Order: sequence, then C-alpha cells, then structure tokens
Amino acid sequence: MAIKKGLFKTSIGRKNLMAFTGLFISFFLIIHLVGNLILIIPDSYFPIEFWGNVANAHDMYNAYSHFLVHFWPITLVAWVLYAALIVHVIDALLITLNNNKAKGDKYQVTDNSTSSWYSRNMGILGTIIGIFIFIHMAQFWLQYKVLENEHDLYNLVLATFKEWWVLVVYEIGIIALGFHLVHGIESAHRTLGVYPKRIMGIIKYIALCFGIVMAVLYAIIPIILYFK
Amino acid sequence: MALNAKIPKGPLKDKWQNYLDTTNIVNPANRKKIDVIVVGGGLSGGGAAASLAELGYNVKVFFFQDSARRSHSVAAQGGVNAAKNYKNDGDNIYRMFYDTVKGGDYRSREANVYRMAQCSVDLIDHMTAQGVPFGREYSGYLSNRSFGGVLVSRTFYARGQTGQQLLLATYQAMMKQVKTGNLTQYSRHEILDIVVVDGKARGVIVRDLVTGKIERHSAHAIVLGTGGFGKIFYLSTLAMNSNGSATWRAHKKGAYFANPSWTQIHPTALPQAGEHQSKLTLMSESLRNDGRIWVPKNKDDDRKPGDIPTEDRDYYLERRYPAFGNLVPRDVASRAAKERMDAGHGVGPLKNAVYLDFKTAIEKLGEATIKERYGNLFNMYEKITGINAYKEPMKIAPSAHFSMGGLWVDYELQTSIPGLFAVGEANFADHGANRLGANSLLQASVDGNFILPNTISNFLSNEIRTGKIATDTPEFDKAEKEVQAQLEKILAIKGNMPVDRIHRRLGKVMFKEVAMSRNEKGLKWAIEEIKKLRDEFWTNVAVPGDDKGPNSELEKAGRLADYLEIAELMAIDALSRNESCGAHFREEYQTKDGEAVRDDKNFMYSAAWEWMKGEEWNLHKEQLEFNDIEVKTRSYK
Amino acid sequence: MKLTLKIWRQENAKTKGKLVTYKLSDLSTDMSFLEMLDVLNEELAVKGERTVEFDHDCREGICGQCSLVINGQAHGPEGHYTTCQTHLRSFKDGDSLTIEPFRANSFPVIRDLKVDRTSMDHIIQAGGYISSFTGMAPEANTIPIHHNIAESAFDSAACIGCGACIATCKNSSAALFMSAKIAHLAKLPQGQVERAERVVWMVNAHDDEGFGSCTNTGACAMVCPQEVPLLDITRMNYEYNKSKCTVE
Repeated sequence: MAIKKGLFKTSIGRKNLMAFTGLFISFFLIIHLVGNLILIIPDSYFPIEFWGNVANAHDMYNAYSHFLVHFWPITLVAWVLYAALIVHVIDALLITLNNNKAKGDKYQVTDNSTSSWYSRNMGILGTIIGIFIFIHMAQFWLQYKVLENEHDLYNLVLATFKEWWVLVVYEIGIIALGFHLVHGIESAHRTLGVYPKRIMGIIKYIALCFGIVMAVLYAIIPIILYFK
Repeated sequence: MALNAKIPKGPLKDKWQNYLDTTNIVNPANRKKIDVIVVGGGLSGGGAAASLAELGYNVKVFFFQDSARRSHSVAAQGGVNAAKNYKNDGDNIYRMFYDTVKGGDYRSREANVYRMAQCSVDLIDHMTAQGVPFGREYSGYLSNRSFGGVLVSRTFYARGQTGQQLLLATYQAMMKQVKTGNLTQYSRHEILDIVVVDGKARGVIVRDLVTGKIERHSAHAIVLGTGGFGKIFYLSTLAMNSNGSATWRAHKKGAYFANPSWTQIHPTALPQAGEHQSKLTLMSESLRNDGRIWVPKNKDDDRKPGDIPTEDRDYYLERRYPAFGNLVPRDVASRAAKERMDAGHGVGPLKNAVYLDFKTAIEKLGEATIKERYGNLFNMYEKITGINAYKEPMKIAPSAHFSMGGLWVDYELQTSIPGLFAVGEANFADHGANRLGANSLLQASVDGNFILPNTISNFLSNEIRTGKIATDTPEFDKAEKEVQAQLEKILAIKGNMPVDRIHRRLGKVMFKEVAMSRNEKGLKWAIEEIKKLRDEFWTNVAVPGDDKGPNSELEKAGRLADYLEIAELMAIDALSRNESCGAHFREEYQTKDGEAVRDDKNFMYSAAWEWMKGEEWNLHKEQLEFNDIEVKTRSYK
Repeated sequence: MKLTLKIWRQENAKTKGKLVTYKLSDLSTDMSFLEMLDVLNEELAVKGERTVEFDHDCREGICGQCSLVINGQAHGPEGHYTTCQTHLRSFKDGDSLTIEPFRANSFPVIRDLKVDRTSMDHIIQAGGYISSFTGMAPEANTIPIHHNIAESAFDSAACIGCGACIATCKNSSAALFMSAKIAHLAKLPQGQVERAERVVWMVNAHDDEGFGSCTNTGACAMVCPQEVPLLDITRMNYEYNKSKCTVE
C-alpha cells in the first residue's frame, strides 16, 4: 500500500488545514486589535506626537486606516486573509458533513458531561462569528474600502456604535469569538502534533489567556465608543 | 489404540533439537496448497495461526468473540516465566524444568516440560520484538518478579496486564497476516463439531453467531487452541463464554481426554458476594510477593481487620510453610485457605474469604512502590468491591481457574485423532497435576509460536499431494445433520429452567465435591447429581428464540450440554485416582497434618479417557518416566 | 433495590429499533450491571420471550467485549470503568436507566445491544503491528529501553479496544483507539522501522472505514477504561504530519 491520499485530504489532513488557517486568522486578530485600540485612547492623551506630526485620535485612526488600504503589501496579506477565512469555513463544512455521516443513529439519551460545550459546538460558534464578520464587513469594509462612500472612517465608526443593537450584535459576536479561540488555539496545536506534555500544558494555558484577553479587549471597544 | 507419546530419543536436553533436526518439513511452494484450520484466537491459537500464516500455509482461524484481541489470554495478569537468568540468581533451563515438574507434583511429561523451559528463552525475545512493553529497570534492561513455587525471579511482566500485552502482540501478528492474505479470520463463529474423514481430522462444522447459519470448512489439519473448561464451576476466573465444547466434541469424535479432573483452584480471587454473581475476578498471584495472608485466630472474630492485633492473627501459610511462606504453589495455598475457612476462621459476610494484607509491605517500601507494582490491581479491586486496599486488607478466596487436564497429545501436540492438534490450555501435558504461576502464558505462547509450527509440518508433509478436501462428503453431511438436530432438540424443549440456573447448580455440585478436596462418597454423589441435572437440562431447559440469528441462550445451552458430560468424566477421573497429587486432593490419602500423599507405584500415569458410545469411558494409561529428576515428596516447608 | 430499564431492542441492522421498558426489583447493590441484565434475561427466558442480546466476556474489565451506553454515558456513570465493572451501587433505588448500544455508522447493530466492531480490526490490519515474524527476534536485552519510555508505551498499549471512545465521540472518530496503537509502537525502538508508513496506512484505513475527524473535545479520554492519554492523539498527528512531510 502506498502513501496515497494528499496531506489535506484525510481526516487528519483536513484538520491540518483548519489549524493553519485558524492560527493565521488568530494572528490577524492581534494586529486588528492593536489598530482598533487607537479608538479608545482617552482624549487626555492628546495631542501626542505621531510620526513627527501632532495628532488627535481622529487623525491618527484615519491615517492608520488610509495606510492599511493603500499600502500594497498589506492588500496582498489581506487577500491571503480572505482566502484563509473562506478555506476555514469550507473545510469546516466538509469536516462537519463527514462527521455527521460517521455518526449514524442518534442516541435516545445523551450525556455531555465529558467535554466542554464550546469544544463540541465550534460549528455553532463559528457560524455566529461568520454572521458577525458579515455584518462587520458590510458596515465598514464595504463602505470604506469597496464603495468608498465614506472617507472619514473614525466618524463612521463612532456613528455606527451609537446604535444599541450594533453594540449587542458586536458583544455576542465577540463572546463567541472568545470561546472559539480558547478551544481553537489548543485544538490547532494538538492537530499539528505538539505532543510533549509540558509544552501542551503551556499551550492550553496560553489558549485560555489568548481567548479571554482578545474577547475582553475587543468587547470593551464598542462599549466605550457607545458611551463616548 | 495404544498411547504413543512419540518422545524423541536422546538425552533430555537434546530431545527437542534432535526432533527439529530430523522432522519432515514442507517446501515453501507446497505450503500454499495446504489448508489449516485453527480454532481459538488467543495466545496459543492466535500464535499458531500467525506463525503458520507466516510460513505460507492457508490458515483459517475461528473464534466466538468479535475480535481475536478479546480471547481470554487477555486476562492473565502476573507475568510469563522464562529461564533467562537475568537476575544472576542461579536460574537455568534445568531449574525451571525442575520447578515445573515438582510444582506439577511429578505428573507431567518430562520431555514436554523441558522443551517448554527451553523455548521460554526465545519467547521473551520474540515478544519484545513484537512490541510488548515489559517492565524495565532504570538501566533499560528487562525486569523480573518472583512467583509462587519457585526460589528465583524469572517472571517477566507488563504491569498487571501481561496476558493482555502478549495477546495483543499475537493479535497484531495475526492482523498482519490477515493483510497479507494468508490468514482468514472468522469472528463470531462457534465450532460445533469436528469432521473426521478416513481417520483424519479434516474439517469443522461451525455456526455463524450473527446469521445463525451452519457452515462447513475443510482443511488438511486442525488445531484446537480453545483454552480450558474451568467455567464448568460457573463461578470461576474464566470469561463468561469460555467453554470446553470444541475439545469435548473432538473427544466424542475419538480424541482422548487426559486428566480431566485436574483443575487448578486459584487462591487469590475475589470471594463470592451474592447469589447472582457470575464471575470471580482474579487478583494476580504476584500480590503474594508483598501481601501476607492471614485469618483471625479466634473463630467468628467479627472485629474489623485493623482492630485485630498481631497476636490474634494467624498467618497460616507462614506458619505451615516457613520456607516458601506466602509463595507456596497455588494448590497448597488454596487448600490451606479452605482448611481455615472450613474450621470457621473465614472472614467477610459469608465467611468465605481470607485476608491478603499489604500493611507490612507499605510500611517497609512505601505506598508509592506498592502502587507502581500493583496499582492497577488495587484499582480493579476498588472498582469491584468499593474498598481501598491501601487502607484495609483485601478479602480473597479460592476460585476455579485453570484446567491442567485437556485433550491428550503426544510430543508433537497431536491428539489421538491424526491431523487434530491441541495447543495451550486445551491440551494437557506440561503442568502435571498443578500449574505454577506464570507458566500458562508461557505454555500457550510457546505451543503456538514455536512448537506447533515445527511439529505440524511432520504431519502436513504427507499431505502435499492430497489436494483440496471436499466438504460435500457423507462425513460432513452427517456431522452437520447432528449439529442441526441438537440445536433443534434444545429449542424444542421450551421448559422453564434458564440455562444459567442449571449451570449454577452444576457449579455448586462441582465446587463442593470435585474441586479442592474430594472423597469417594462425595464423588459418587456428584456423579448422580450431574446425571440428574443432565436429565433436567434435556427435559426442562428454557431457551427462547430461534437459531436463525444471534441467540446467546442457545449458545450457552450448547456449552452447558457439553459441561454436563465433562462434569461426569471429571468426577469419574477423580474417583479412579486413589491418591492425592497436586490439585487433586483425595481426603482418604493425606498425612496426619493434612499434606497430600502420592502413590507413585500405582498412579504415576496420565489418565487418557476414550469416549465409548453409550456414554462410557475407556481408560488408557500413559506411564510417566522421570529419568532426569529425582521423584520426591513435594515439600514447601 | 428497584430499577426501571429502558433497553434498546433491534432485530438487526436493517430494521428499526426502539426502547422497551422492563422493571426489576429485589436487586442487590453488590451486583454488577451485567449480572442485573442476566437476571432480566432469566426472567425473560422463563416467560419464553427472546432475551436481550448484549456483548460481554471476561467481566473483569480487560477483554473490551462489553459495550453499552447507560443514560448517555459509554460504559456507565463512573468514568474509566467498563460496563462489566460498573456495579449497581453506582445507581439509586428507583432509578430509570436507558441502555443503548454503542452507536456509530461504522458499528452496525447486530441485534439489540450487540454491535459489529470489526472496523476497528481493519484499522489494526492496516499497520498496527511490528512485522517481526516468529524466529526473527534478537536477544531481548540487546536494546535497552528507558524505564519511563517503556512505561509510557504501556500507557498507550493498555487500550482494550472496546470502542467507548468512538461511541462517546460526537464525530464518531476512532482517533484515540488508533493513536493508542500508533503511539505505543512509535515510542518503542522496535517500532521505529515501520513508523512512518504505519501511521499513514492506519489513518487511511480509519477514513475508509467511515470514522470521523477528531475535533479534540477530549470526551474519549474521559470514558476510556484504561485511561489512554489524550496526548496520544496529538502524538499521532505529529507522526502523521512528519511522515507526510518527510517520506517519499
């Protein structure tokens, strides 16, 4: 028997793809967060010196956004990111379909005390996050980058978050993201085969911290903006 | 037919080599033309199946479990003996041979025992190469522990799951052969008859336990590796489905059954707790390395074990057998426990147990060491009884365990039917009247892996021109009809006595009179009781359902029908042997202080029983000769 | 004690099954779970009704033949027990218990609570062995193995192949079962030669048998009677990825 199927086609291979794309997206989250934190720098910190110019939050954020959209290497990375997201979603669908097929008849009584609910429901969490990303991109990415309806992103963001329902949608999406990350980061490392016991212990801890820190920091931004 | 054990010529230590040097073998090109059926997928059967398939024979293996990995070899705990002398404690092949013959109370076949000791050395190498994670020293070399009945440490172990690990290695070797296509496995198939054509075993009738279909399979030779029949006692350490049916049906087709009454009663099993109990779990004998066995000195002492001071405890094994202490052979330990319990010193709610205490060992070695050595056994004990044995002593009791008797085989492991071979516990030769601990994994493995593949070729070398064996012959027709008729007969009874209830009653009769201690009156009574139970079975057994699909009750009923016949032969065998030897203890033949009295003048033979039509048996005696060992009174004092 | 049992009865893989209720009284807490089923079957046999088919053999937790999902928990409520080791002391008087077979697409029902687990044999057949034939082995002590490595290999090798991991997995993945064998053999020096091919062959067989992907929920290790480490799955993934990246 030869080693036949491709690296991404077997049950483990498909999970590799999930792990790679998931970790890449997670890394993007850090960058995205750093940029967004500009939005909540308190007014008392301004004016501060920004690349030789004196700036306030408004100017700083818009300059950053402008740079992201018009610096071509970043555009390139952005396309990789879109691709990763799409692959992550399609791969998840394929895995779920296959797993459902493997399951056979349902149990009459189920008991789930042996695993955490978020590790079992990554698909549901992922779907919530997917819807959230869709809304999020329609609100900002579409308006600012694609249609170019709005050139002052800072004002757009501020205006958008004054709506209470936007706040609720964002908080739900971010909480789902937090749980998705706690399991996802650990699971990705397990899938990729980080088997030494101690290292896996540390990664488990890091995954938990990463999920919590990301969720908390992302969650406070809309709240602060809502009350600003 | 006169018994010919076919023991090769030459000095004891050269016999096996002489045999290998001169035996006939089969050319690799011809092996493909030869079919072999193996019944049983455990250490002996599985080992034989894998080894024969490796040689290139067409092998079919049948077992009733859903996978060969579940065969009851899996449950052996303590270890496997080998004369490696890694401990530098003076061990060698002769000493192992000596211990085994002595442990068997001079009722085993010298040449077979010596061969087993010789092959033991290779077995450890073989199993290590297969990936068995044997216990290791911190140097990385293999570790040993000691077992009952010997003065050296020669037992190799994989925690308390040695049998499982050896079996899985064997199972994996089988799976490899399934992949190569030399081996075909038939899981959930039960053997119901052996077909003899022109005096040779040529096929089997099996029932597919899923579809219920009766099938015929033919081969040039048949190997039975079907284990022991200790489940006849109902309460035993054996698996629920372990049975003696394959060997018994072979017996009824002409294979002699040897020493059927020699059943080992294991001293360290869990005691019975209630009427519906189905199984007595074994606690490995290795526990006796560090555990001390005692009962209260006073009768009916109801104090908790921890509250009984040392002066009120009777460490009866240490008292009676100072040289071996808690490590006396199993038969001696079981009988001593029975003696104490009969005298009213038993512990537990049913007064049917003795204490196995680790307090001294924990004080001396620390709980961590004990945990590393026996952790899984302590866990198992707690799972079953709910008691933490680090804190209070275990309660243990004797339980039926191993059948030293089995199909009579010659040196080539061939039964009295040409072409029918028996390996492992299914045969009889190596353990005499009592088996030493950790010798059963050894015997099963070497029979299957090292001995049978070499001896079967001597028979098969005459079969290269035979061609395929047809299954549409009158012999197959007749056998299938008989099998079908028996199934229908059982189903037609429609009585109101479930199979297990009859089996439990049989077990009680057997454990009372045909177990640790026997006497003429009791045995005669047992024979009558067995006959009554047999009548009741054939008139009143309740087997619902049909034979068209899975039907556990039907399977159990067929096995019980055979047990009800085996039981009678066991009692007859015990009755015919007017001496005490090993596990066979006749109350009429004992010293004043209760030790066994052997009669070497009249009974130094293996009793091979031939089935006569009309349920009578004819006794053939294989006289045993001991040229290389001095026959002494066995003493562990 | 008294118990109400709702037991899955199904004629064969092609027919539909349903839960049937039975009531048992006068049970002892010292009885094992399977002994309770024996009692039920004896009652049914006396009445001439077809008995409940269930798999069992050694009844001491090592053969792996017993299965059953009790109230949604593979092998019952104790965790790390087999069904045969589960005793009635784990339940309360008057409890109602739903007893179902191990369920997975690759475990077709044979009858009632018996399922066909040969798919697990097929995974081992694909490569779960060391191809050392009888007679080939070198002297056992020529290759020293560190005590801890031998112990660690044992932890994996202890798998009894019962299939509880698969039955409890929400994806019906056989990852823990398969990885136990892969890790066992990958840890030992004897298993090195076939290491790279073994893992790939076994994973391919796993997929061909129709088992699902592991999503690392860890539920399997929580029910495993032998406490096979969850990290064995990770080890298997490492072996697989390494093999895919390095072997021609």
